[in-house]
Amino acid sequence: METTTITSIVDSSTQRVGILCVGILCVGIPSLPKVLVALCIALPACHAAFGQEENSFPQPNTKVLEAQNERIEAMRKAARSTVSVHGSDGQGGGSGVCISSDGYVLTNFHVSSPFGHRMRCGMNDGKMYESVVAGIDPTGDLAVVKMFGRDDFPAAELGDSDIVRAGNWCFAAGNPFVLATNLQPTITYGIVSGVRRYQYPSGTFLEYSDCIQTDAAINPGNSGGPLFNMRGQLIGINGRCSFEKRGRVNVGVGYAISIKQAMNFYWQLRSGRVVDHATLGFTVATDTKGRVSVSNILDNSDAFRRGIRFGDEILRIGDRDIATTNQLKNIVGIFPDQWRIPIRFRNEDGIVDTHIRLQSLHLASELEEIVAGENQKQKDAPKKKLPQQEGELEEEKSKPSPKETTKDVLANKYTAKIGYSNYYFNRLELERIVAMQSANRLPTVDNATATWKWQGDLPAENQRFSGEWSDTGLTIQFGDQTDTLHPTQGWLQTTKKQSPLTIGMALRIWQLWHSVGPYGIGEAVYLGRNPVIGVGELQDCTKLTVGEVTCLIYTAPENGQIRVVEVFADGQSEPAEIYFEKYTTENGKSLPSLIRLQFGLETKLIAKIDSHSFLDRPAKEGL
Amino acid sequence: MAQSATGRFLVPLVLSAMFLCSAHNSLWGVTLDPSRDSALTSQDTLVDRVQEKVVKLFGAGGAKGLESYQSGVLIGTDGYILTSWSTVLDVTSVRVVAYDGRRLNATVVGVDPPNEIALLKVDDAGLTGFEIDTTLGIRPGQRVFGISNLFGIATGNEYCSIQKGVVMAVAPLTQRRGKTKSLYQGKVYVLDVMTNNPGAAGGALIDIQGRLIGILGKEIRDEQAGIWLNYALPLDVVQVSMDRILKGNTSADLESTKVVDKPHRLGDLGLTLIPDVLAKTPAFVDQIRKGSIADRSGIQTNDLILLTNDQRIDSRKSFERVLSTLNRADSFELLVQRGQELIRIQVRP
Repeated sequence: METTTITSIVDSSTQRVGILCVGILCVGIPSLPKVLVALCIALPACHAAFGQEENSFPQPNTKVLEAQNERIEAMRKAARSTVSVHGSDGQGGGSGVCISSDGYVLTNFHVSSPFGHRMRCGMNDGKMYESVVAGIDPTGDLAVVKMFGRDDFPAAELGDSDIVRAGNWCFAAGNPFVLATNLQPTITYGIVSGVRRYQYPSGTFLEYSDCIQTDAAINPGNSGGPLFNMRGQLIGINGRCSFEKRGRVNVGVGYAISIKQAMNFYWQLRSGRVVDHATLGFTVATDTKGRVSVSNILDNSDAFRRGIRFGDEILRIGDRDIATTNQLKNIVGIFPDQWRIPIRFRNEDGIVDTHIRLQSLHLASELEEIVAGENQKQKDAPKKKLPQQEGELEEEKSKPSPKETTKDVLANKYTAKIGYSNYYFNRLELERIVAMQSANRLPTVDNATATWKWQGDLPAENQRFSGEWSDTGLTIQFGDQTDTLHPTQGWLQTTKKQSPLTIGMALRIWQLWHSVGPYGIGEAVYLGRNPVIGVGELQDCTKLTVGEVTCLIYTAPENGQIRVVEVFADGQSEPAEIYFEKYTTENGKSLPSLIRLQFGLETKLIAKIDSHSFLDRPAKEGL
Repeated sequence: MAQSATGRFLVPLVLSAMFLCSAHNSLWGVTLDPSRDSALTSQDTLVDRVQEKVVKLFGAGGAKGLESYQSGVLIGTDGYILTSWSTVLDVTSVRVVAYDGRRLNATVVGVDPPNEIALLKVDDAGLTGFEIDTTLGIRPGQRVFGISNLFGIATGNEYCSIQKGVVMAVAPLTQRRGKTKSLYQGKVYVLDVMTNNPGAAGGALIDIQGRLIGILGKEIRDEQAGIWLNYALPLDVVQVSMDRILKGNTSADLESTKVVDKPHRLGDLGLTLIPDVLAKTPAFVDQIRKGSIADRSGIQTNDLILLTNDQRIDSRKSFERVLSTLNRADSFELLVQRGQELIRIQVRP
């Protein structure tokens, strides 16, 4: 068996020397400077004591010792954020890694799923923390679990898995064979055997794309745990091994999901949803000339709308050049659905750079089946079921009694809902976003919005632009032309026709978002963080059902400000994209001042707003 | 700045404590520099350097327990590939996938059954392989790396997998406990790393300078303990095999060898082989006529004929062809596999 260094052994033995010396000498002289004196005496003394035996060996190279100390430090640092995941009864177990100080843990879906929604996570401070599942990604085998009980959990430092290369040293930390009974992780040291490996779904739906292959011993129980580089930075989530005929122990081949992929999904998983992966809307094959070319394309896909056709050669997706179908599968596997990513392809006319929206890999019902299947497996497993677990599944939709809240930290942290692994977290995230904009709240009375009037111009057309939204409808002027829109009806056709009135829709959503809030508009689902073209950072993305259309609302993670509203008429036609390019501050409130309408990748209209007025009806009546 | 007596005392003390800590290589005071990988040398450049010298091989197999892929090591600049002799090679031409994804066809130059080594060749591929240097002294405790396409993970231009390990022992393969299915009984490097997986056979064992030091062996399991052994054939053993194969008459030479007027024939020898039903039906002995030349020489039923006068026998047809070049009055030598043994047999008319 190949397991090189176990830090806990190295660590504790080194500490033992130190602690022993301090311990003995502290008895008589407890003040700090004196302890230091003691240390100065004790350390050379310790060395001298062992020195005689060491003389028979050549002195180690200082470089080697430096490397060893760095390795030990990296492992010590890494061990702090490593988590062992157990059932709520403390039994069973896998691994995880804490990546935020408020206790969000990344682990494998196949680790968290047998425990239901409740579990306990152990850390190397020797404590077990009550934990609850947030989101799950059954396709990519990831899950996010939230620990409770501290606001200063030690979070792992994130590394860059894109620069990891075969031949880099690395180490895994975790709970193999459920050895971490004292909650100290086991460290196994190894080399990166290969990168960007694609592992076909093996008898299950679990697909490992773009993963890191290592010979660091990854065994059952290591699943969900971290893989670190030698700086102690997180580069992957260990999840799979090649076993074949050798039984369920490591045979020198383990796979970790790259931290890049895990972080692409992290906010999606924090949403408490059953998260999906994506497809491009077309398939590829390697043609006779060795080119990766489109072999089939859906004519209602965004890829088709962006001009990709049968036979076109795919050159680049995301930030990766594509030369083989495996490379294409690898890169597509790291993105959540609905992401809009850059793509480069070649057709008869030359090379085209564009962006495409990824579509869902599964139907919602298929994901449901997967989750139901996992739950069934869990029921079938010869494992003790806790009666309280079953009770909660059915009952926790209602608010728990205050008595339970004081007793059980998880009592109000779980809400069952179809399509979610824990709906509680979806509300939590959306509330977080809305709370950031509380200073920009617009007046409402009895859930009715105030009438909003704005004045501005269309710089390109050199025309006036003004409008008025009230609960009875929209009146809008583009130059001499006046249009109206019902507060809810006719939105689908207006969007399909690519009408500039869609700007009015976005403004209405903006107004409602800041007055009655997302839940007051319609069904609101926090999706996670998605990219917006031309904006570097990922933006919080919320799906809103507004009457007959579906909208995606992109808000800035730092302040909750709405950046983009996308209005989808249906799955087939081009959505309206309304960019809130600039805001001005009036009376302490941020109000939109520059709006851009885009269909596809083409700007249709730019509108400037110079002044806003909110006619607060009830207040007026009061006057 | 005002300092208390304790403070003044404390600073040099802390400094000296830190100095002592570092002098004694304690953990205290170690900080990780995020700008570089580590004081440990990353082996990524080594991996880059040797990748082009290791190839993925695809051939016969695919049935349960029999993989259709393995690894190979390029030698020199003439397109020679050393690999493990296995059923994967039982095809007319072996598919070679080079580091850059190129698909090439290799012919089997020859095999050396005692060492279970095969030599293949690809023509005009412009590939540069390892040099064979048998003077590198390999000792237990030495850091080594295995590079192979174990489990067939890499396809196309993807890198073969690298694994790190240490030579645990240099010992004959017979020193293991229990039975194994290895014909080779000589010296091997026993490794502490799980190199010998499906598809790894024929891969490279290299030292930290990236020099070839061995060829990864097959999957061998102790049948009593169920333990899998990871080993590599040392380069001197490999060199002997390569010399034997290159010196011996190759299959190509066989085509031009003259058929003699009065050759040996199976019937005359008293040999019945299993019926020739495949393109490459192995030369398995089905029956021996009592009192015949074959019987007197010691050939037995179920022997598999591997070599005849050091010429490779890859099928019943090739055995008959070799016999047709041997004068009926001359004796010849056979190498047969009987169970897990290799036996040399002198056939005297």
